[in-house]
Amino acid sequence: MDKQLKDNPNRELSFVTGGEVNIRQDPWWWLVAVVIAVVALLVMLQPVPFKEIVVFARDGILITILVTVTSYFLMLVLGLFGGLGRLSKNKLVFGISTLYVEIIRGIPLLVQLIAWYFASPVLIQKIGLWLNFTPLITYRANPIITAIVAITVCYGAYMSEIVRSGIQSIPKGQMEAARSLGMSHLQAMRHVVLPQAFRVILPPMGNEFIALLKDSSLVSVVAVADLTRRGREFMSAHFNPIETWLMVALLYLILTLVAARVVSYIEKRSRYDR
Amino acid sequence: MANPIIQIKDVRKRFGHVEALRGVSLDIEEGEVVVIVGPSGSGKSTLLRCINRLEEYEKGSIIVDGMLLDNNQNINAVRREVGMVFQSFNLFAHLTVMQNLMLAQNIVRKRSKQEAEKVSRELLVKVGIPEKAKSYPSQLSGGQQQRVAIARALAMNPKVMLFDEPTSALDPEMIKEVLDVMASLAGEGMTMLVVSHEMGFARAAANRVIFMDEGQIIEQATPDEFFTNPTQERTRLFLSKILHL
Repeated sequence: MDKQLKDNPNRELSFVTGGEVNIRQDPWWWLVAVVIAVVALLVMLQPVPFKEIVVFARDGILITILVTVTSYFLMLVLGLFGGLGRLSKNKLVFGISTLYVEIIRGIPLLVQLIAWYFASPVLIQKIGLWLNFTPLITYRANPIITAIVAITVCYGAYMSEIVRSGIQSIPKGQMEAARSLGMSHLQAMRHVVLPQAFRVILPPMGNEFIALLKDSSLVSVVAVADLTRRGREFMSAHFNPIETWLMVALLYLILTLVAARVVSYIEKRSRYDR
Repeated sequence: MANPIIQIKDVRKRFGHVEALRGVSLDIEEGEVVVIVGPSGSGKSTLLRCINRLEEYEKGSIIVDGMLLDNNQNINAVRREVGMVFQSFNLFAHLTVMQNLMLAQNIVRKRSKQEAEKVSRELLVKVGIPEKAKSYPSQLSGGQQQRVAIARALAMNPKVMLFDEPTSALDPEMIKEVLDVMASLAGEGMTMLVVSHEMGFARAAANRVIFMDEGQIIEQATPDEFFTNPTQERTRLFLSKILHL
């Protein structure tokens, strides 16, 4: 361990000081800069149609970010409980969370989205009729909320497995040491196991964010006016698929590349030597 | 004399088909230092882990400081009074040495931050590494980590300390620094139950040495008697194997 310290003193230091990360240490920021420059050039040199596309799709970009960020944080919460449930000794809790993970993982997100948007309102209305409860009978699905619910439920299942494996990767001795000091199971989880598991699952958590950002384009099929849907609208009005999808792809690329850099920054900041 | 601080009666425990403990009874008096030796798989670590209920036992009873280990409240109460030191240290890897010592004081003993910090500093001086308060466990040597682990257990003011092969994972040159801390603790009158193969420590600090084999206590005696004049054939065989090395 001391040897490791001598070989690589900077890693130690980077944790202690919080880790300075800038363009020099993370050269991949250049890629972000290049893609942004390409978009800027296209917009400036050929405002028709590139500038028009960006202006037209502005609100779509915001919707994409809104849907992504909201469902991401909700699915983290769901995944935490799902992961804890998958490790529970309580057979009912374990059964429910396992069933949830296995079923949701086995159905394509697109199918789930469509089911939430088209099937669930009808189901809710039928239940309303059966209970004779007016607010349910007149229920109408809100596209954005339905899309966020669908993505949250779907990604929560994947996240549950990430959380479970993260917790399982922490040596049993950590829990035993905490319990031997008199902490309850819950206290030991909260103060000892989860903070360490969090650092383990940061990389897959970052992956999930980027995957979710891209999958958010599926919400365009359930009447959410996100970036993809706005692109389709622009294309059908102007009949220029090459320019439209080039620009949409570049805009997604900017979002995902920036997200990847942020993820990498957070990982470096929270690293510590074991 | 008061009741023994630990009363173990006919404890049995099995892992699947393997009987790890086959009816172990043992009383430990307050202030006693007991060293348990025996071949691997003899159940000595399992017995130790049963005392603070890290391992559940099927039959028998264990009473620690007047509390029977049968419900969760008692188990947590016993754990507060019983410190444990592990073979693999088990320091909390995400916390500094100081934070390792303070965490349970804060959330279990409900001590204020200032008080917990004061207790921690005193203990770090006691185990000889006050300068490492801000280090992370991975920046310490094995011997230093184990001394921090002892300090962490002591921070809860336990009445009993359990040591589960505390020096087995250490490089040879670091064993002494840990044994020195344990010996000084024994000198202060701490009740200690030590699973270890450090015969030097057993001779110097123990009041009683217990030999376990196949889940049973085979022999117990004072260190002098135990090493010079064991009565059981199995003890003699075991000693002949380890003392020659």
